[in-house]
Amino acid sequence: MSTIIIGLSLSFLLFLLSAGLTLIFGMLGVINFAHGALYMLGAYTSFQIVQMTGSFWLGLLFAPVIIAGLGALIEILALKQVYSRDHIFQLLLTFGLILVIDDATKLIWGLDYKQVPTPDFLSGPVSLFGSQISSYRLFVIGFGAAVSFGLFVLLDRSKWGMIIRAASSDPDMARTLGIDVNRVRTGVFALGSYLAALGGVIAAPLVPIELGMGFSVIIDCFIVVIIGGLGNIRGAIFASLLLGMTRAAGYTYATEWVELLTFALLIGTLMFRPAGLFSYKGRTA
Amino acid sequence: MTRRAMGQTVMVLIIAAMIIVPFFLPSEQWLNLVSLILIWALFAIGFDLVFGVTGMLSFGHAALFGTGGYTLTVLMLSYQIGFLPGLIAAALTGALLAFGLGLFALRVSGLFFALLTLALAQMMYILASNKLRALTGGLDGIPGVPRPDLFGIDFYENRNYYGFIVVVFLIGLAIMALLRASPFGRALRAIQANDTRAAQLGYNVHALRQSAFVVSGAYAGVAGALLASLMFYISPQMLHWSTSGDVLIMTVLGGKGTLLGPILGVAVFELLKEELSRATQYWYGILGLIFIFATIFLRNGIAGLFHGQDDRDDGGSS
Amino acid sequence: MKRRNFLQTAGAAALVTTLPAPMLRARTAEEFHIAAILAFSGAYGLIGNDMRKGAELAVAKRGGMVLGKPIRFTWEDDETKPQPAVQKASRLLAEGAQMMFGAVSSASTLALQSLSTQRKVPHLVTISADDAITKRDGAPYSFRTSNTLGMEVNMSMEFVKSRGLKKIYAVTADYQATRSGFEQFAELAKAAGVEIVGNDYAPLGNRDFSVIIDKMARSDADGIAVMATGNDGITFVKQAAQIDLGKEKVIFGPVLQDDVFAAATGPAALGVNSGVRYHYSVDNPANKAFVEAYREAHGAFPSSFAGEAYDGLSWWLDVVEETDSWDVDAWVEAFANSVYEDSVEGRKEMRACDHQASQVGLWGEVVRGEAPMPELTMKITEIFPAERLFDSC
Repeated sequence: MSTIIIGLSLSFLLFLLSAGLTLIFGMLGVINFAHGALYMLGAYTSFQIVQMTGSFWLGLLFAPVIIAGLGALIEILALKQVYSRDHIFQLLLTFGLILVIDDATKLIWGLDYKQVPTPDFLSGPVSLFGSQISSYRLFVIGFGAAVSFGLFVLLDRSKWGMIIRAASSDPDMARTLGIDVNRVRTGVFALGSYLAALGGVIAAPLVPIELGMGFSVIIDCFIVVIIGGLGNIRGAIFASLLLGMTRAAGYTYATEWVELLTFALLIGTLMFRPAGLFSYKGRTA
Repeated sequence: MTRRAMGQTVMVLIIAAMIIVPFFLPSEQWLNLVSLILIWALFAIGFDLVFGVTGMLSFGHAALFGTGGYTLTVLMLSYQIGFLPGLIAAALTGALLAFGLGLFALRVSGLFFALLTLALAQMMYILASNKLRALTGGLDGIPGVPRPDLFGIDFYENRNYYGFIVVVFLIGLAIMALLRASPFGRALRAIQANDTRAAQLGYNVHALRQSAFVVSGAYAGVAGALLASLMFYISPQMLHWSTSGDVLIMTVLGGKGTLLGPILGVAVFELLKEELSRATQYWYGILGLIFIFATIFLRNGIAGLFHGQDDRDDGGSS
Repeated sequence: MKRRNFLQTAGAAALVTTLPAPMLRARTAEEFHIAAILAFSGAYGLIGNDMRKGAELAVAKRGGMVLGKPIRFTWEDDETKPQPAVQKASRLLAEGAQMMFGAVSSASTLALQSLSTQRKVPHLVTISADDAITKRDGAPYSFRTSNTLGMEVNMSMEFVKSRGLKKIYAVTADYQATRSGFEQFAELAKAAGVEIVGNDYAPLGNRDFSVIIDKMARSDADGIAVMATGNDGITFVKQAAQIDLGKEKVIFGPVLQDDVFAAATGPAALGVNSGVRYHYSVDNPANKAFVEAYREAHGAFPSSFAGEAYDGLSWWLDVVEETDSWDVDAWVEAFANSVYEDSVEGRKEMRACDHQASQVGLWGEVVRGEAPMPELTMKITEIFPAERLFDSC
């Protein structure tokens, strides 16, 4: 039973990490390679805030907002220049961004590892189902569920969501209706960056904060996004659950095979549904 | 002469100069650098067939590169097979693996294809680092990769091995030039421009894409083998997706879709790496900035500077 | 005088008869050029900087000179990857470097070692712990002055015995060096009557140990052996603390923690036990002098990386100076049979059979440090004599 709870925490952590990536792809058609770098920045920023104020919660509140601002800046300064061109250029641009962000982080914070301690309120274990479960992980589950619900409501049920979806599926028509498509795009990229950074803040008490951390999550994010179907929040949730639970089972019974299990899952999905489990038709490119 | 022809001639001259100079300099510094450049250039030329000419962004080429290297290493060290047969085997395994990856990846296109090739290649990296460590030496790699032993020439003398690399490179370049100018090459460019129309015109789009992938796999395999021998060493790092990223940067910087562009891209990248890394520890970030600028402003890369900006997104021409 | 003439003549003979590459270095040079290839970025980027500080102090101690010529370092970043390591080393050797110093990750070090064998260039290793680096009759020009994983594992078992732990649950990074480390540990456990109740292999770079930690918590083990280092070790310790695993069971590992890793882990590291490569608190005149010099130059206590780099390079340069020649083979011969009495760890003896320095082993626990020491620091609880840890050649 405790394995299931831990599996859930793995799943929601994965979802928090991948949501931003899938959003940006779904709404902007851009594969944001810099997603891992923004995640890393979220973690470092949260560290900085904790250093200055001692509060993890302030970090949770403000770090993603700061990175969202950075995301908006990146979108305006760089991405906008290449929208008119082939999608590949946008991807290449975000790829170049990884290198810049990584070294900028090194410049600001240096090479040594940083750490964010588990917030006091959540630092003890909780006895559940005969096991000790970290209260922080329970928090991750709750928080992740809330975020996924919030995103769903935002995109599927709110006016903002409607504007975003309109601007992405038919920008010209949306313009004629008075929607400032450029602003919407900036907003979406900012939201995606916000989510990436949020993932970083949440992950910070769990892993060392260091310059390679973006690289280590990006593959997982891509796998979730591929399995779930590019651009699909529902797909991302489902894929995260699938991957998280599979991993939990893997760690329980066959830890040496966990990595390959992940890829087996990927290949299995692709053999049967080459565009991901929940892809929309026509969204392959 | 047209602007384009003039630009091309200049590029040829630069590349020729780069190749010839190390033969005449007594020190080995340039030798080392240009050996590396030519090997990566071979890799990039093959990669560009898929990326620049056919329009498929693959993040999986590192797997082909590394597999070629391992093929040579294992055959030579464990089975005492000679260098030339090993090199050919490297080309074959690269091509075969490309075929296998293509079976999965070519079912989708565009960005999805990019992600899929990334994931598949990364899986190979994990296999090589981990499960197959008896074969590959795991993360620590395999040291002591030998040089060729042919015609009584001592290829451990770096100058001689450099000559060997130049020969292989020129052969590869010539073959690629022929391919690009041939009906095959034209068909690939047609697919990049508009694959639906190409299909309607009767081209077997899937088979053509697969073939381009296979050819690029052979190039990657040979390049990987040459690199392993140059370094006397091979490790799974060659299979890591960041290696795919590197060849992508080099190709885009040089000018995708052009024959000579990627060669210049490799040269600039390696030179920048050498010079910048001596000057500052933030060289990768600066390289990233340069890359971003090149992506925004130099849409045809360095080659574009030589023969004019090309507004067509049709894979350009050689 | 006669000896020097003889060596110079031998050097000249070598000049005439051998291949070009070694030729470049057998004659007297204008400077002693050290090709230092370390990780200044990538996973071990932090370590390269520390090693540099230690190495520079070693050179400063002798006035920057050896054999009457100035010592020059060229520092290159291998990005914690073997290919850049070999690439940069090759270039520096082509420029006439007399020796190689590096790298950090075992993969890069092994790659450099291969190059050193090919080019017949001396190679000094002061950090990478993989046992494969110093095999019997291995690379003839390569030497290691720092700890091996094997000795750290030995110390771990001694610790287990001294604490009276009877049941161990292990987690092992899925990497050949750590796997062999675990196998060695398991054998020692069997011999000592200690039971291994479980072992899980975690992928290298694993970010989530929660399931494994849960299994450990639910088992009846009284000790947790962590066969991992670097990021993996830090992540494990952080996450183990979230369910207070360390309260009931003793967490330890051969290369799990030191001052640097403890700082990176945070308060979760308190109470964890580990082998320590070098520590500033070891009490002997050489170490005291080094720590004082380091603190004056950098305002901080030297880490294990700085300490080992300083020690290894000092030893090597002392030996080179004593040979009073520029003949590489003389250096190698002398070093292979040398003893260093002024080591910051007391006494080290180079073993000729595998070019590994036999030395004492330090074992310690993470505790709170009082100013001016770092907030979290190692307290050395035991110093194992060399004979306990190394068998004879």
